[in-house]
Amino acid sequence: MPPDSPAMPWIRRSLRPSGLVLAGFMILWAVLVVRAPVDSMQGVIQKVLYVHVPCAFSAYAGFIGTALCSALYLWSNDERFDRIAAASAEVGVVFCTLVILSGPIWAKGTWGHWWAWDPRLTVTLLLWFVYLAYLLLRSFTEGSARTARFAAVYGIAGVLAIPLNYFAIELFGGAAMHPDNLERGSLGAGMGWPFAVGIATGLAAYVHLLLLRTDLESLRAEAVGAERLSGG
Amino acid sequence: MNVFLAILWKDLVTEWRSRDRVTAMLLFSLLVVVIFHFSLPGGATRETQATAPGLLWIAYVFAALLGLNRSFSLELENDALAGIALSPVDRGWIFLGKAASNWLILGVAQAITGGVFALVFDVDLAAIAFPLAGVVALGSLGICSVGTLFAAVAVRTRFREVMLPLLLLPLLVPVLLGAVRATATLLETGALAFEPVQLLLVTDATYLIISWLVFDFVLDE
Amino acid sequence: MSEPALRAVGLGKRFGRSVALAGVDLDLPKGVSLAVLGPNGAGKSTLLRLIAGLARPTSGSVHVAGTPAHRPAARALVGFIGHASLLYPSLTARENLLFAARLQRVAGAALRIEQLLETSGLARVADVPVAGFSRGMSQRLSIARGLVHDPPLLLLDEPFTGLDPRAASRLAERLASLRAAGRTLVLVTHDPKRAAELADRAIVLAAGRVVFERHGSEGGAEALERAVLAAGDTAT
Repeated sequence: MPPDSPAMPWIRRSLRPSGLVLAGFMILWAVLVVRAPVDSMQGVIQKVLYVHVPCAFSAYAGFIGTALCSALYLWSNDERFDRIAAASAEVGVVFCTLVILSGPIWAKGTWGHWWAWDPRLTVTLLLWFVYLAYLLLRSFTEGSARTARFAAVYGIAGVLAIPLNYFAIELFGGAAMHPDNLERGSLGAGMGWPFAVGIATGLAAYVHLLLLRTDLESLRAEAVGAERLSGG
Repeated sequence: MNVFLAILWKDLVTEWRSRDRVTAMLLFSLLVVVIFHFSLPGGATRETQATAPGLLWIAYVFAALLGLNRSFSLELENDALAGIALSPVDRGWIFLGKAASNWLILGVAQAITGGVFALVFDVDLAAIAFPLAGVVALGSLGICSVGTLFAAVAVRTRFREVMLPLLLLPLLVPVLLGAVRATATLLETGALAFEPVQLLLVTDATYLIISWLVFDFVLDE
Repeated sequence: MSEPALRAVGLGKRFGRSVALAGVDLDLPKGVSLAVLGPNGAGKSTLLRLIAGLARPTSGSVHVAGTPAHRPAARALVGFIGHASLLYPSLTARENLLFAARLQRVAGAALRIEQLLETSGLARVADVPVAGFSRGMSQRLSIARGLVHDPPLLLLDEPFTGLDPRAASRLAERLASLRAAGRTLVLVTHDPKRAAELADRAIVLAAGRVVFERHGSEGGAEALERAVLAAGDTAT
């Protein structure tokens, strides 16, 4: 009898609590965003940032998650880590895409043009490319063990490229157009909470989607395992 | 260490016998230089001189991609890569041997391309030849380190020619930024700027170390 | 009590849906030769590559003379002759052997290479690029390459494939003499007659498991042949 694919039952059990936490955060966040004061200089469009910034946190969390699980997979040879790494990349790329789409919307509304080669947005764009390369590598490699290994190697190299790119672009890149107002002091009154809750919501969303996606992958692996047992 | 030298020797001898890699790389990068020259209006003006370093490095990267792919596709013939993987040493040395041979072969193509480039874009290289060689060497070290690692990966996927540039280019941004900026400063002022070189050194060291450490996993089956 | 040349315990290689090997146990003393048979896709090549340290097991373990097979120290004890020749076509026979010797950190390589070229009957073509070699000549060079570091354990993956009868019988003689000299051989082959002739023990693999094992030669080649056919039936 062929062995079963390693299962992750704790994922199924965590889905409901994480879903509830996410729902709670989203409601709180929506309320805070609607009630937040309109920025005097930038107008209503500034509220796009309440989406943009949390997505950025989650996009970076996603790739750090992928890199961590990649390293753990290489170290332990346990394929469950690879499943989480892949799921993290798939969830993270969605957030990254949202960041890149919402950034120009805000920029157009405030500065009047769609794109500027500002360091943070450029590095996020590069992150997006790294994500895509990771996902393409996964689909174009044949042999699941090899796919996992190659992807893990790229996950680790990719995560190193992020600080290097940031450092590089800071040194030479364009003028910073990002508002450096994440420090509490320069944020307008009443904007701190929506941001903080927004970030928490974004991370909760990341975690929940990660669990969902990993669960899906586990289900698939188990289904194939069951198929083998029944001689299908 | 012996294994590193053995692989370096083997790659250089094989390359010398056929010279196909270096020829292809050279032709390709020269083509890029010529095409750029034609596509820029007005010939060697001040504006084109400003873009020259970037163009040079684009040509270098294209050449590198060609050479890197080939360096491992050769190893797939007759499963020769397994023969190397059987060596009873830390596989980091295998990585180093491959990266070194790639770096040297790329260097040959780069030197010749650089000379032609100087002619075409009317740049006087005599005074800055040494520091320029240093910058180019540092830049290609960055390219060949993480490039060798991912060439070994890309060559065992479908669409290997497409895979390597996709994987490599985002990772090469810090290398290219440093190299282009250092080259530009060198051409403009004749002096080496500290920051780009520092960036190159940090990036090269990071990429070399990480490639050394994970190459074992890439050679595994 | 000396270590067995080769020990595998619950050796498995799998990932998600694909199972290459599942729970193989082997205990091979020094100097005893093993033949591995089975239908295509049974995992024979995977088994060999795990022993050679080319791949890492996902479950269980495999040790060569007491050392885990994936460690460099174990790789030094194994000579691997695979499906493919592992040779570089643009290098000569001598250069291929020299490269292998340097990869294996062989001392006194030059002398060893001359000896190997002699015993393989390739001395006359030592400086000819391998691209021009016939299948038989490549095979002989591959074996010389696998032996360059004088390994006590020799792994051969279907070495008789594609050889004409004369080359095949030369190879059989070569393997018999290596065996007589005390080396441990693990031979993957499709040919039950060769298996019976060249090995003390035999196992048949199917779908990643050992389905038949024999120490000794009762039943001769016919018993092996029946076992392989039976394995082929259950696998499909």
